[in-house]
Amino acid sequence: MPKIHHIKKGLDIPLSGTAPLQLDSYSHSRFIISPGDFKWWSPSLLVNENDEVKVGTPLFEDKENSRVKIVSPVSGKINRIHRGAKRKIEMIEIESDSRYIPIALNIPENPDRESLIQTLLDTGLWPFITQRPFGITANPNDKPKSIFVSCFDTAPLAPDYNFIINRQQEEFLQGLSLLAKLTVGKIHLGLHENQRDTIITKDTKIETHYFTGKHPAGNVGTQIHHIDPINKGEVVWCINPQAVIMIGRLFLHKKLDFNKIVAVTGCKTTHNRYVELTNGISLDGLWKDSPLNENTRMISGNILTGRDITQSGAIGFYDSQVTLLQEGGERELIGWLLPGFKKWSISRTFTSWLFRKKSYSPDTSLHGGRRPFIMTGVYEKVFPFDILPLQLLKACIIKDIELMEALGIYEVIEEDFALCEVVCPSKNDCQQIIAEGLRLIRG
Amino acid sequence: MKQITNWSDKLGKHFEEGKPLYPFKSLYDAIDTFLLTPKTVTQRGAHIRDAVDMKRILITVMIALLPPLLFGLWNIGLQHYRALGVEATFWQQFGYGFLKWLPLVIVTYVSGLTAEVIFAQWRKEEVSEGFFVTGMLIPMILPPDIPLWIVALGTLFSVIFAKEVFGGTGYNFLNPAIVTRVFIFFAYPSVISGDNVWIAGQPDGISGATPLAEAAMGNLAQMPSIMELCIGTIPGSIGETSKIAILLGAILLVYTGVASFKIMISVVAGGLVTGLLFNIFGEAPLTQIPFYEHILLGGFLFGAVYMATDPVTATQTEKGKIIYGFLIGVLAILIRMINKGYAEGMMLAILFMNIMAPLIDHIVIRLNIRKRQKRAVLVSTQSRQRHEEI
Repeated sequence: MPKIHHIKKGLDIPLSGTAPLQLDSYSHSRFIISPGDFKWWSPSLLVNENDEVKVGTPLFEDKENSRVKIVSPVSGKINRIHRGAKRKIEMIEIESDSRYIPIALNIPENPDRESLIQTLLDTGLWPFITQRPFGITANPNDKPKSIFVSCFDTAPLAPDYNFIINRQQEEFLQGLSLLAKLTVGKIHLGLHENQRDTIITKDTKIETHYFTGKHPAGNVGTQIHHIDPINKGEVVWCINPQAVIMIGRLFLHKKLDFNKIVAVTGCKTTHNRYVELTNGISLDGLWKDSPLNENTRMISGNILTGRDITQSGAIGFYDSQVTLLQEGGERELIGWLLPGFKKWSISRTFTSWLFRKKSYSPDTSLHGGRRPFIMTGVYEKVFPFDILPLQLLKACIIKDIELMEALGIYEVIEEDFALCEVVCPSKNDCQQIIAEGLRLIRG
Repeated sequence: MKQITNWSDKLGKHFEEGKPLYPFKSLYDAIDTFLLTPKTVTQRGAHIRDAVDMKRILITVMIALLPPLLFGLWNIGLQHYRALGVEATFWQQFGYGFLKWLPLVIVTYVSGLTAEVIFAQWRKEEVSEGFFVTGMLIPMILPPDIPLWIVALGTLFSVIFAKEVFGGTGYNFLNPAIVTRVFIFFAYPSVISGDNVWIAGQPDGISGATPLAEAAMGNLAQMPSIMELCIGTIPGSIGETSKIAILLGAILLVYTGVASFKIMISVVAGGLVTGLLFNIFGEAPLTQIPFYEHILLGGFLFGAVYMATDPVTATQTEKGKIIYGFLIGVLAILIRMINKGYAEGMMLAILFMNIMAPLIDHIVIRLNIRKRQKRAVLVSTQSRQRHEEI
């Protein structure tokens, strides 16, 4: 009987709008790849407008590490390359030809570590592997001490990974045993208590750990911290189950595709469901029947860490969830004095705590002005790390690298501070502060 | 509603940079966000935020201050008419206290907020709400008959030299309300200490000493009953007398999650332990008072609930809060027992621990760091061993 890690500090934000367990397929001819999905990349383009591409044709590479390339998820034509200020590449728009024409694949039967890495790099599946510390794309030259796969998500309205993994169990296990070749250590599988006996493997390199409790129990950072925390100089790799399935599919069926299952969630319940789609697809078609309200923010990912994709309208590279959220900004007369029956807050300063609702539909309002750090002990309630959150944030602000290291910056990335940011009464951008601190350390 | 918003937006244009009213932008922003919740939406990071903000937290503290304040206002009248030996109705007593308090609170807010607004405009920041609580606290810890110019001077001193010179609310390391009281105590001792200041309009020849002062002088026979101490019908500053009212405020503060329960409890624990030790080993008359009664005397409880819990000047680590609170309790009772000249030790204890808070935090932080370093060393030796085995 494995030990169950109970995450007591944390927060489950009661939002309305989960996706019912109903799977539809979805296709669209417009695909968008945003280099912004890849943290700290300086992309260097490998294609031009109007080029023909196949599934797996490299689109751009990272200047820092040219072995790692992002490939086209579909076959078709590069429609347009959108550039922003200073000619920064913002989006690569691909028009799909609705056929499946992959690049020439050479998939070894029983790959060793090097040929596995090379295959993943060639097929564009490599960037799904990220590394800790820093939360950036893994460097194929590193030797990680272990690999972590979190098989459940506790974020608000998160997709049910049981629903996703169960229908592709074989591919998932195949992917895991391949990934085991990449590390000298173990593959740590983070499972929720209720996922017991759903994933059974005889591979001794795969170790299962059970978690229960509040969000961020499902965050891989929380799991690493409770299983095998990262010290300075160590590297671990992380990968999402959907990407494990893609890798399994590649080797099992010799087929390269970027299909994944995405939960559509949020305020407009008519849209909520699971859809099977290809990475990078434009989501316009989903709202064809009942168009979105003008004041809707479309988020790829969850409301804590997701990216605003109202502009591009396409699913992000790493995301398994789309959240629709009402834009806020309505002004309220003397709001600080009103009882606030419908306000969501973890403090009990609004009367809403008297009549706890099962779920809320908050909007994007900031609900206050920025202030210096005033309250203390608020972050600690939602931060399940043996790290002093306020002090680490302050170390980042004063750019004291030595102090940041001592306080454990290598164990965290932005998403670990997302809940601190949500509950902060001074409305500080905690994730941004941590991002700047990490960037400073990385140099 | 829409009309008000539009009107406010239109008015706001006159305060933008380059416009004639720009020097008053901070004031406009303060009033604007006071009347209407801000229209800002999340730009990056988490897309939704908790509805609570500093305004809401501080208004909760102000609501928590209402029970001792309302009781205190009535008590001023009660003490006044009782000293005069005149019968008066409840409303007469309350009205008398209210009229004594009103000029105090107006002077405090006007002087303090003026300084705040000037500094905010100078720094091109929004006016911080912090002073709303400070401004309410200051009259509650002063004698009712104190000259108004001294109140203004004390408030200005603390806002400028205890807060704004360090960067404003959130950066100060001393509690501004306590600094005001301590400033007045050392600069104008006659208006804030002695037996004749705590009853408003006190007639000559009648002692108006607080129970704590009586006890310090050895008049244990004059001590009011525990019941009276709890209800608060005794001379003293507006806020401190009624322990029941303070307890009501404390419950609200703890339940809403605004103030630290750890600090409150550990202050009381520190006080009880020290009081007990003096009960056992002490000889002076004050040490004869049972330890639990010490908690009910003077400003001990008021300080524990409303002053020691100020998050900016307290320790910021959770473990540090326990040490910080405990030492406040110890020091407050220690000063009371040992310092013959002035028995009210609470404000000095809090002020001293405000100064010590960063040191306590430093120790807690170092311990956390050391734990992580130990782990790293352990891991590196393990991996070296594994390496050698291979």
